[in-house]
Amino acid sequence: MSSSSSSSLATGKAGLIKAADDAGSMDKLAHAVLDDLLYNIVHDLLIKVHREEKIARASTAAIRVEKLAADASDASLTDARPDVKVETDAATYDDGKVLLKGNPLVTTKDILCPRCHLPRLLYPTDGKGARKPDPSIIYCKKYPYIDKPGYDIYGQTWVPQGPGRGKKKKDMEKKTDTPQDTPGGTPGPDDAGGKGGAASRPPNVLSFPSATCSKCKRCILVTRLNNHMGSCIGNSGRNASRAAAQKISNGANGHSGSQGDNTPPNSQKGTPLSGSRASSPKKRDSEEANSDDDTENDTAHKKKKLKPSAVNPPKKVILKTKNSSSGLKKEKVKGNSLLSVEQKIDDDDAEGSTVEVAPKKNTAKQPSPAKKLKLGVSKPSLSSPATKNGKTNSANGGGGGGDDAASESSGTLSSPPGA
Amino acid sequence: MSARPTTPASPRNAKIKSPAPGTPLFGCEHVQLLLSNGPEVVQSSIQYYKMLLRVIFDNTAIVPQTTKSPDGAIATSLTSNWLCLQCSTIVPEEERPKHGQKKSHRFYVDSRSGSLYCQFCEDFVWDPTLEELRVRKIGTGSFSGRKRKHEELFADPVKDDPRYISSNTTTASCRADGLRGIYNAGATCYQNVVLQSFLHNPLLRNFYLSDGHQEGDCEVSHCLSCAMDNMFQDFYALETTNGYTAANILSGFWISEKKAFENLVTTKEQDAHEFFQFLAEELHERNGDGKRPETGSEHSCNCIIHQTFYGKLQRQTTCQSCGGVTIAVESFLDLSLGVDSLAQKRGKKARNTPLTLLECLDEEYIKSDKCEYRCRNCDSMQQARRDNSIKLLPNTLSIQLKRFEFKQGSRDKSASKIDTPVQFPLTLNMTPYTSRGRSADARESQELARSCTYDLLSVVVHVGEIDTGHYTTYCRVGEQWFAFNDHRVELATKSEVLNSKPYLLFYIIRSLA
Repeated sequence: MSSSSSSSLATGKAGLIKAADDAGSMDKLAHAVLDDLLYNIVHDLLIKVHREEKIARASTAAIRVEKLAADASDASLTDARPDVKVETDAATYDDGKVLLKGNPLVTTKDILCPRCHLPRLLYPTDGKGARKPDPSIIYCKKYPYIDKPGYDIYGQTWVPQGPGRGKKKKDMEKKTDTPQDTPGGTPGPDDAGGKGGAASRPPNVLSFPSATCSKCKRCILVTRLNNHMGSCIGNSGRNASRAAAQKISNGANGHSGSQGDNTPPNSQKGTPLSGSRASSPKKRDSEEANSDDDTENDTAHKKKKLKPSAVNPPKKVILKTKNSSSGLKKEKVKGNSLLSVEQKIDDDDAEGSTVEVAPKKNTAKQPSPAKKLKLGVSKPSLSSPATKNGKTNSANGGGGGGDDAASESSGTLSSPPGA
Repeated sequence: MSARPTTPASPRNAKIKSPAPGTPLFGCEHVQLLLSNGPEVVQSSIQYYKMLLRVIFDNTAIVPQTTKSPDGAIATSLTSNWLCLQCSTIVPEEERPKHGQKKSHRFYVDSRSGSLYCQFCEDFVWDPTLEELRVRKIGTGSFSGRKRKHEELFADPVKDDPRYISSNTTTASCRADGLRGIYNAGATCYQNVVLQSFLHNPLLRNFYLSDGHQEGDCEVSHCLSCAMDNMFQDFYALETTNGYTAANILSGFWISEKKAFENLVTTKEQDAHEFFQFLAEELHERNGDGKRPETGSEHSCNCIIHQTFYGKLQRQTTCQSCGGVTIAVESFLDLSLGVDSLAQKRGKKARNTPLTLLECLDEEYIKSDKCEYRCRNCDSMQQARRDNSIKLLPNTLSIQLKRFEFKQGSRDKSASKIDTPVQFPLTLNMTPYTSRGRSADARESQELARSCTYDLLSVVVHVGEIDTGHYTTYCRVGEQWFAFNDHRVELATKSEVLNSKPYLLFYIIRSLA
């Protein structure tokens, strides 16, 4: 197939891609072909937009003249096709038929929504290409989508999630396009926002909603819903995790015998003495925090215990590498990861305290801790005295303060362990 | 209008579309003049337009792209020619005004798109009657009204017979366009991405929005299909732009008892592909024949999930010693394509050119491999050649790129993620991978190619490591792409979509013929 014929062979239709004058004929042909293809691409794009726009304008002209006709005809008759003849600059209405006058692209300047007959807003109100809408006009509700970094297509953004939500740097980087999220690590701005509450937020800044659990009918913050259902409906309640723990520790006996041989799984429920914990083998360390969290009334102790770990994350990382470095134990660790998740659900009940530990473990970026944190922070911040505790996040774990989280945890405790 | 050739007779009467509110009757005043010349002219004009569309779309493009100048020189052009609507002439753009002057022919058809050009307006006109024919031709390859229009899929569902609809329903707000995020309920992004690609699948959307599964009529408690119904209503009928809380889906998920997916139901991060399989099977069970879809066998069912996602795979085993052929057919929900093996096969030399989806498909469905097999004829173990091909293409083609694999290392085995980029097209022609497409004449067939053409609908992307990470998805609504990241919905460009590293790809058939 050759390019366009006769005299214009030297160049394609777009005239943008030209071969040098002294180029060989093959060279010229190649340039001309490429140029024609470019022309076609632009042509296709334009015709698509043209079609859309012209049909919309033609339809606008039709809607206008139909409205005039309806107004002109007897109001009492709700005939869909009034028998009148009306004319606008763009169209004629004659006995139920709409006939265009001239090119709608020339005669009609705006677009009416074919559904609600209100004018369409043609430019976004914010972000790229934004223009101020005319406040005196009621527009169709289908707005152009907003293209603005950090905001969604409706111009909404969300209350940043609480500090220390278990996000690591790489997770942050992922969301670079959402600057609202980046201060997540620093408690300062977040706190301020929290104190102000919904009232001080601009209307396009949304907070995370709550939803009702279909089983227990309690209201749960959406970010915690999965964990809640896990313990409320699912098989990852504390009993299931305990069963799993038992299984695994039994299995472990066979291998290393390092753990659990003398410790009945039930004892995990109780509050292990700090001494016993200290003496427990290394491997248990990765889990210990979890199992300990079941202790509901050990707040002060836990705070002491956990704060350093939060401040000093590498410690856990080291732990992890220790675990995985020992060749034989590697598989074991994998098994543990499964378990630890279930135990984390466990922690739901005990609230918060795992949070600092979980992200450092091999289950790594579990969003659940983040959500937990979020709750821990936002709730107390409404009743300001608790904020400081909320920040450290272990306050909730104490089961004090009648906030949502605490009430949930008590509820889950009371729910029968049959799950 | 004198030189009009005879048009093929058609049993049906070509008519101007009856007037509809909100639409002018004709594309422009001049088309109106042409089509007001009495029924005969109307009839022949429309028939002739149809014939031109057939010339353009049914056969090789050479014919409409070739012109003959007055001095007899024949030229084929890459850019559009113009087919006169009033005689059999094809002119290049430069000749068009001259032809109009000489013959008083004012209407031309673009040889590449079939669009109508009015020389009086000096503009393309979109006449409702003629444009409908064109859209239908492009979409289904026929003018028949029984087949679905191409645009219908992506167009407003609330369109046909406005008066009946307005008197019986409340119209959804113009704002309710199905674009909402879904909140992450705690490591549920793997569910969100699958739900989003379901929500923007026109087939599923039309099923649920046309009361395919009514929550009121369903007696199953915590039915996932009811939860889907609920979600579709919320997305396409409410003005809310805030994220959606998929509480019902989640509880349905927790409550469902599927042995095969037991491991999936945890609060851990999970595999989106597994969730896709779970959701498909669960919805099939709620809407279908009640039989469990078995892997490895042929399972036909008329439920929405089978209509949407399931295709059939043909495995042909040829014995190398006796030449006996065994054919097995099995249903598939998705195609799983290996990435790792192919990347390794290419080795270092081709490392710079990225892998393409077509290469992956070639590997699985064009190349044959050898295997040991027990031949019934020979009654012994024999070398055999295995060929896989697709016997029946699904309406929505789901492709999984195996990015998560267990590697058998020297010392231990560990799961790892393969981050090899794979290039994928916006439009996918599946003809070479079908059983029918193997024969030579089938390769020529426009009809077959049309029925094997897919458009990209959504892309699920996984970022992060094997055991932890985040899923996001890109979905196309009409021509616009959107990026869904849990509750956040943003505009996306085609290049963003095409530069992502896909994990799951959903392609939708172009014409539902």
